[in-house]
Amino acid sequence: MHNDIPESGKPKNMGESFKIFLKSIKRYRFLIVLSVLLAVGSAILGLFIPKILGDMTTIAVDTFKTGLNWGALAGKAWLAIGLFCGSALLNYAQAYILAVVSAKYTKELREKILDKISKLPIAYFDKHKFGDTLSRMSNDVDVLTTSMSQEIADVSLSITTLIGVMIIMLTISVPLSLISFIVVPLSVLAVGRIMHYAQKYFREQQNTLGVLNSKIEEDYSGQIVIKSNSYEDDALEDFSKTNEKLATVARKAQIFSSLSFPVTHIFTNIGYVAICVLGGIFVVEGKINIGNIQAFIQYVSRFNRPITEIASTTSTLQSLLAASERIFEFINEAEEEPDPEPSKKISEVKGEVEFHNVNFGYSKGQPIIHDFSVKVTPGMKVAIVGPTGAGKTTLINLLMRFYDPDSGYITIDGVPTREMKRSDVRKLFGMVLQDTWLFSGTVEENLRYSNQKANLEDIKLAAKASNVNHIIEALPKGYNSEISEDSDNISAGEKQLITIARAMVANPPMMILDEATSNVDTRTEQLIQDSFEKLTRGRTSFVIAHRLSTIRNSDLILVMRDGNIVEQGNHESLLKANGFYAELYNSQFADN
Amino acid sequence: MLKLFRFLKPYWWQALILILSIAVQVWTTLRLPALMANIINVGIVPGDTHYIWITGLKMIGLAAISAACAFISSYFSARIGANFSRDVRAAIFTKILNFTLADQKDFSTASLLTRTTNDVNQVQGAVMMILSMMLRAPLFCIISIIMAIQTAPDMSWIILIGVVAILGTIIVIMSLVIPKFKIFQVLIDKITLITRENLTGLRVIRAFNNEGLEKKKFIKTNDKLTNLLIYIDKILELQNPLINIIFNGTTLLCSWIGISLLSKDYAYLGNMSAFAQYVTHVMLSFLMLSMLFVVLPRANVSAHRINEVLKKPTKINWKEKTSKMPEKTPSVEFKNVDFSYADAVEKILDNVSFKAVAGETTAFVGSTGSGKSTLINLVPRFYEATSGEVLVNGVSIKGYEKTDLMKRIGFVPQRGILFSGTIASNIKFGAPNATNEQMKKAAEIAQAKNFIERLPDKYNSHIAQGGTNVSGGQKQRLSIARAICKEPDIFVFDDSFSALDMKTDLKLREALKEITKESVVLIVAQRISTIKDADQIVVLDNGKVVGKGKHLELLKKCKVYQEIVKSQLSEKEYATELRLAEGVKNA
Repeated sequence: MHNDIPESGKPKNMGESFKIFLKSIKRYRFLIVLSVLLAVGSAILGLFIPKILGDMTTIAVDTFKTGLNWGALAGKAWLAIGLFCGSALLNYAQAYILAVVSAKYTKELREKILDKISKLPIAYFDKHKFGDTLSRMSNDVDVLTTSMSQEIADVSLSITTLIGVMIIMLTISVPLSLISFIVVPLSVLAVGRIMHYAQKYFREQQNTLGVLNSKIEEDYSGQIVIKSNSYEDDALEDFSKTNEKLATVARKAQIFSSLSFPVTHIFTNIGYVAICVLGGIFVVEGKINIGNIQAFIQYVSRFNRPITEIASTTSTLQSLLAASERIFEFINEAEEEPDPEPSKKISEVKGEVEFHNVNFGYSKGQPIIHDFSVKVTPGMKVAIVGPTGAGKTTLINLLMRFYDPDSGYITIDGVPTREMKRSDVRKLFGMVLQDTWLFSGTVEENLRYSNQKANLEDIKLAAKASNVNHIIEALPKGYNSEISEDSDNISAGEKQLITIARAMVANPPMMILDEATSNVDTRTEQLIQDSFEKLTRGRTSFVIAHRLSTIRNSDLILVMRDGNIVEQGNHESLLKANGFYAELYNSQFADN
Repeated sequence: MLKLFRFLKPYWWQALILILSIAVQVWTTLRLPALMANIINVGIVPGDTHYIWITGLKMIGLAAISAACAFISSYFSARIGANFSRDVRAAIFTKILNFTLADQKDFSTASLLTRTTNDVNQVQGAVMMILSMMLRAPLFCIISIIMAIQTAPDMSWIILIGVVAILGTIIVIMSLVIPKFKIFQVLIDKITLITRENLTGLRVIRAFNNEGLEKKKFIKTNDKLTNLLIYIDKILELQNPLINIIFNGTTLLCSWIGISLLSKDYAYLGNMSAFAQYVTHVMLSFLMLSMLFVVLPRANVSAHRINEVLKKPTKINWKEKTSKMPEKTPSVEFKNVDFSYADAVEKILDNVSFKAVAGETTAFVGSTGSGKSTLINLVPRFYEATSGEVLVNGVSIKGYEKTDLMKRIGFVPQRGILFSGTIASNIKFGAPNATNEQMKKAAEIAQAKNFIERLPDKYNSHIAQGGTNVSGGQKQRLSIARAICKEPDIFVFDDSFSALDMKTDLKLREALKEITKESVVLIVAQRISTIKDADQIVVLDNGKVVGKGKHLELLKKCKVYQEIVKSQLSEKEYATELRLAEGVKNA
């Protein structure tokens, strides 16, 4: 299900993580305690079964000569049936409660993570990879679900069994118990040592697999380059080296871990024999009866398991804590500064936007916008231009309040946006980005995304205005066609048209557009240009411009370079200034 | 799955040892309960301490043999498993390296990746499980049954009851749960999808204030998932308690029946507990086998996916040696070339002919889907023409030895593709013997010199996997430098300039002119500014050549070309260009 290699199996701060985890399951403490009690009860009931079976043998031996005492035997048998059925029942009740608790608990965690995604500042996601957050949502929550319901029950069961078995064994025979108390822990210790080495190789196996994975990925996605440079043999040689190493490590890991079984086997049998020999002598001497020997042997085999289980618990607990640590690290990230209370609202928007001495940088001490001021009057078209990577989206980030200025402020119709709710600021703008994000759902749902109140009529009207109506109607299911991440039925250009229509459905007073359209065929390109034109008509609009026609028709051009706004003015005045803009412009039409 | 077993062939003798050691191990393990019964019957009951000692030592000896065999068998199963998966992985990797681009398109890169790693791991797990369990479980089962009947023939019917109870329980539980697992997977995928959409659509969601809507969508799926999970657990958790009841029940039954048989034969006192152990072994082996039936179907799916890759027929056969001596002067010629994907009716390229000669730049334009990218991918034989002929330096590419053709071509793909290593290793990728001077010169022409020399380690700077530590434009410039460093006869640029800004694009093309005086240059581009100076422009529409000539000639007579130009220039500029074109006629 999840192909990622877990980043680390160990929590960074064991104690702290444990505290946070305990706190988070506090709500369920009664149910958890109840299920622990049930587990203990189930273990205790189960403990007496071998003893009772042993008693039956003893009764049989004792009464054999005088005629079997069937009444006493039946009594014991019914008792055994009652005990193991009762034990199973308690066991089921316990498992059921824990399953429900862990399902509900992880459901809450998932919800909290999603909620957090919408509350974190955009800056968080500009700095962290999506895959990282995604793996917290899937892998880590997954680890929690499975290990939580198992661990709590297993640990309580193991401990109860261990203590119970020890007590019963001691009551049967102290010297025989001592044999097991020495032999069994020895075998567990030996296995522990072996597993320690195996673990080392397993970790190495994971790492090598990771290396191999990235090599393969690189080679597969770079096939064209490999082929055209005749690099196949080198690639294969490189691959084979890592592949061989992986095989070696995998082999070692397997061999070490499979050693544990034979080792336990030998120890167990030595223990058996010792008990049989000593027990036999005791029986001959009349110190112990035969039924008890039988029972004792069974207890010894039950004594083994809890010790190995408790040993393995520590590693599961580690990965559980590591997962919960990563989840809570995310959930406890600092959220966006809350909206002001009370907030200001603009009822009738004219569309005047003003930057007042704005300073901003993505990281502290690296300001990229210095003391920037500009006044945009209602209906003005503003073009933002500059080479790739000049930071054109920064202005949009500030306008939409995805980021806030370090100092200075932005006003809309004279109202500082910082004194408004973020959602109220964002309502004023329609946004069409270069990245044509659509969610998987129908075309209609996607178009309605900007305005839940829009009916199909409104949507079709917007689609017509954005030149995408006929494209949608041509799809097999029209407006009900499904859009998915890898849908082939809709091209990149058509996706862009849909995002334009989406912005139009909202009919916002101001617009923010990113013109960059690569990989779009020329006809669609014309449609896009035409719809952009319609979208900005009569609205204050900010356009990250790539087309000269757009740039020249705009009222104000902001020229950006290396994150700074280096020039502003209209086309003619900027050309006259003969600065960076002129250089950019001339480079495109060099031979004119 | 069975088809992959041929990869096990080289290890047949290891498998043989494995089987033998498993058989010995099973036999010795199962002898132990019988010996224990003897200790009780012959040793403890009559009080024969000597017998207890002897049998005890026998038991330890057997346990040692059994342990040794267990180790040998797991040693060989680890060996076979690891080597098997290594061989399968290598086979897949080699196969994929020989795929044509059309083959690769039939799968996706991500899917090929999972097939090479995850699927192989799945199959390896299954193979190891088969090697140990498939043999062990039936052996255990059969020998246990035989020994059980030997120890207590009158009680053998208990085995039947135990097995039926165990199988019944497992079958009922699995048939209730397994169909739900599929739904579970669908819901989990949906949760991941919504989360991913929330991440990738971060800005859009916030811009439209739709956080609430997204949360509602998520909660709906999350609730469904939780309820399903609880349902599955409710049933699945029944398994352990029920199996416990069955195990305890059979043991009790053995004691009861054993005691009732004491009057017939006093040996049942020891035998009944040995018998109970044998029955437990039988039931355990059925449990083991049922686990196999959970793992096998999944491994089978993986095996099938691996076979799909391995079985894909290789479409392109290269010559061992180039058949005819290619001409010294570089050239590329297409003669009536058709191309369509296998099984597809529609032609991607339809009767394409042109000739590109040394010292000239030939550009290809057309809308998306016009076939221009496919066309230039035919030159290095990434695809095979359906009919017609592609000639490089006067020789059909079908007559070339692979390396001989590739060394003549400098191919720059659409996306800048880099490999982990250093900047130097990337630029010298196609020409490992290039000198540092050649490398620097190539970087300079590709307009990459400035940013490289600003890096602290310059040409030794580390490139991360997928080139993620350099920008898109830088990646593209490095991949152009890689082609230049090779000093090929033929340069092929597949829309390689669109990631560059106009200024860099222009500078680069100017610098390139200097070194391509004797080479063929093929360019696919979207921007008119990139191609307008080309010596020959080939206009494609739906796979057909609809125009061939220079910028101004085409502007005058080719309608498709006019449309393309119009879409990129303002009306005023377009008018100027047209006027220039008219001038051509007048002259």
